Amino acid sequence: MSFRWLVGKAGAALLTLIFVLVFNFFLFRVMGDPTAQLARLPRATPQEIVQLRHAYGLDKPLLGQFVDYVGDTARLDLGISQRTRRPVWSEIGDALPWTLLLIGTGTLLATIVGTWLGIVAATRRGSRTDDGLLGFSLFTYAAPEYWIGLILILILAVALPIFPAGLQVTPGKEFSSWFAHAADVAEHLVLPAIALTLVLLGQYFVIMRSSMVDVLTEDFITVKRATGLPWHRVVRRHAVPNALLPLVTLSAIQFGYVMGGLITIETIFSWPGLGLLEFDAINSKDFPVLQGAFLVFAVAVITLNLLADVLYFFLDPRVQTA
Amino acid sequence: MRARTIIATLVALLALTGQAQAQAKKVLKIGWAQDPQTLSPFIDYDEEDFRVWAINYDLLVNFSADNLGPTPGFAQSWDLSPDKKTVTFHMIKGAKWSDGQPITSADVKWSLDVLGGNGALFTGYTDNVTSVTTPDADTVIVKTKKPDARIVGGLFIYMLPKHVWGKQPVKSLTTTYKPQIPMVGSGPYVVTEFKRNRIIRMQPNRYFRGPKPKFDEIDWIKYGSGDAVNRALTLGEIDVNAEVSPAAFERLGRTKGIKTVKAASPSFTELAFNLCSKQHCPDAKFNPAVQDRTVRQAIGYAVDRDRINEISNRNTSFTGHGILPNYYKDFYAVPATDYPYDPEKAKQMLDAAGWKPGDGGVRQKGDEKLSFNLYVRSESQDNIQDARLVKEMAKAVGIDFKVQVVSTDKLTELTTQKVDGKMAPDFDTFIWGWGGDPYDPSTLLQLVTTSQIGGSSDSFYSNPEYDRLFDQQAGEFDIDKRKPIVKQMIEITQRDLPYLVLTVDPVLQAYRTDRLSGVQLSCPKPTGDLYCEQVSYAPWATLGPPTVAAAKTADEGGGSGLVIVLIAVGVIVVALGVFIVLRRRRREREAIEV
Repeated sequence: MSFRWLVGKAGAALLTLIFVLVFNFFLFRVMGDPTAQLARLPRATPQEIVQLRHAYGLDKPLLGQFVDYVGDTARLDLGISQRTRRPVWSEIGDALPWTLLLIGTGTLLATIVGTWLGIVAATRRGSRTDDGLLGFSLFTYAAPEYWIGLILILILAVALPIFPAGLQVTPGKEFSSWFAHAADVAEHLVLPAIALTLVLLGQYFVIMRSSMVDVLTEDFITVKRATGLPWHRVVRRHAVPNALLPLVTLSAIQFGYVMGGLITIETIFSWPGLGLLEFDAINSKDFPVLQGAFLVFAVAVITLNLLADVLYFFLDPRVQTA
Repeated sequence: MRARTIIATLVALLALTGQAQAQAKKVLKIGWAQDPQTLSPFIDYDEEDFRVWAINYDLLVNFSADNLGPTPGFAQSWDLSPDKKTVTFHMIKGAKWSDGQPITSADVKWSLDVLGGNGALFTGYTDNVTSVTTPDADTVIVKTKKPDARIVGGLFIYMLPKHVWGKQPVKSLTTTYKPQIPMVGSGPYVVTEFKRNRIIRMQPNRYFRGPKPKFDEIDWIKYGSGDAVNRALTLGEIDVNAEVSPAAFERLGRTKGIKTVKAASPSFTELAFNLCSKQHCPDAKFNPAVQDRTVRQAIGYAVDRDRINEISNRNTSFTGHGILPNYYKDFYAVPATDYPYDPEKAKQMLDAAGWKPGDGGVRQKGDEKLSFNLYVRSESQDNIQDARLVKEMAKAVGIDFKVQVVSTDKLTELTTQKVDGKMAPDFDTFIWGWGGDPYDPSTLLQLVTTSQIGGSSDSFYSNPEYDRLFDQQAGEFDIDKRKPIVKQMIEITQRDLPYLVLTVDPVLQAYRTDRLSGVQLSCPKPTGDLYCEQVSYAPWATLGPPTVAAAKTADEGGGSGLVIVLIAVGVIVVALGVFIVLRRRRREREAIEV
């Protein structure tokens, strides 16, 4: 029974992936042909445009392009970037570490701070602290990513020039040591990481708060308190571990949302990760890079969702018996 | 004793740091929101590439920073045969590539033959060339089918080192080959590092034959968006913004310490009319009234081009005066027929031609109505705004434009579609733009020649007299004789109006006045731009770092962010620790009391 459940989930994930693959191909081609702009440069003769379309594989019929695309993707060959003539995997490989650094830092901070604030608010339910934290987190949750990014830049880079407003490292600077380089990257990471943290924080806060409120009204908490345990120990040892369960899935499910926000945040802060790669590829209509990066996004989101389902399966016995 | 040692070490370290700062490289940082693809002239076609190539490479005959006219490049001088079909170039003597190899006529021949024959955007220049020969290392002879003035002053093909590029098969050059770094060149700086999406580093070419460049390095830094580049300039993270948007231009100009530059470019935005004849386009679809010259002229008077520049382009463009932008200093003159804004005159002309106001104020003559579709690309907000303004202005004289916003692809299709092998354009009017070459006006003038119908002509204008003059000027090497012919051609196009040129696109740049000295706006002087955008390396002879005092001010601040954040984090952690400990003690006391 449980094995069938797992196979069902994996099958659904695979179907979603296939749908994304097909959808991506046609979606991006709606944007038009990257060589169309060339037609306006008198330097580009019609023969040159024909050559370029051939080099890009755009002279084939759409169905032929699609068959090539499916075959190549099945062999994990994402093709060559139309702009840089480099393999798409290399482009993704260059950008991925920066994205992982940003997402990792942002998610970690959001989880820690969001959870902690959720606990604080739940234990003070109805107080001014609770109202204030709830208002703050809903505000950051609702505010658009670009707005948060720009406000951070305005405050912490323009009005108070404490942090760099963009890029991942001071351009052209030569570093005497690995540590100096890392420190420079860390300095550049602060604003985009805070922006991502603020974007993600709200959801962690809200989930943790409501989960904690539920747990704190359970009978076993009253029993624990009746035994004379200090309040903070009841919260820390008994309430928090029970309330953490929904966060496991939230971290995974929220990954899709993170990816969406990432394109905006990386573009605003000129952070050279997958989001900016995607943004540039959209602007230059570089289909192979667009498809490749979106595929990576999709695989990541689908895998994490599947992982969340599996984790929940083991963590919560009710799912197994359902 | 130990304390004294520590203090001595700290003092020594500080002294070393100070020294390092004093010897810091003089680096110019230029920001942009888009960077080149591969930097290979065989593959790339973006303007960002041309910015870098213009510094890294020479042409056979360079563009003068004064007036963009011919000036020595790899050729020191040149002779023209009496029939004007053979040009003999005499090479500069003793010049070397940045790797120390000698520059010879073989490099020129290879570049003209191979790059001129296969480069993504360079083959158009050699279509008239029949042979390139090199009788010796110092001479290059170029023969053409017919006299072609572009051979001197318009042969926009970069000179590449044969000993580097020539090792590669052409197939590889046109598909996957990427230039070796450092990019061996002949300009004042050569590319020494290229990290796509991040940075292009250029350093002085020690074999450069001209004046020693003043910067130790030029860094082209890629940002995520134009806004990010503007911010970086305002905050002093970069020294120059290579491409300011019209929306940010005025604001940057008002910022202390930043100066903006607005120069004309060889590009324009035009309102184009479908003038295709039955002979060339038997299946074309359009409202025949668009081919009534009086109607087009009336539109010319009805449209206030200054206002279009003011509103759509925030006054950052230049008002258009015919199909040759004011950038072409040697050839440009305001045409005699210039269509100043005069709606009353437009009405009178239409009245006199029998176009009387009909339903809804739209003029008509018999069954024909002055109601035209006006296509515009969804990708260009400025063009969409242009179209709205044209519609509003034309309505005042009884001409109706129906603005249709379509994709670039769709508009390309409408203007280039064919039926039975013949052009069959399906539009009345559209707004789009064209860009020309740095000096030679032929690329723009040929857009309205008959020979380009089926090629780059999108107005499908055909006039034998204009075609004859075009051929005549294209073969005329003497600028004094060529200029009146070009003037005559402009007058014809202004009379017949295949295009109503609305605005001339600008080059918009901004730089920090405390980071750059020796600014002389060039290409052409004195109305050009900061560093001869995409055209010449000449300005780098004077562009240099600031004086010591200005540099000191510029270097202050910055770099302390991490220290501040570490201190702040430390303070917060300590405060939190104290808070938690105090609270826990209090709670424990409360628990015992319970």
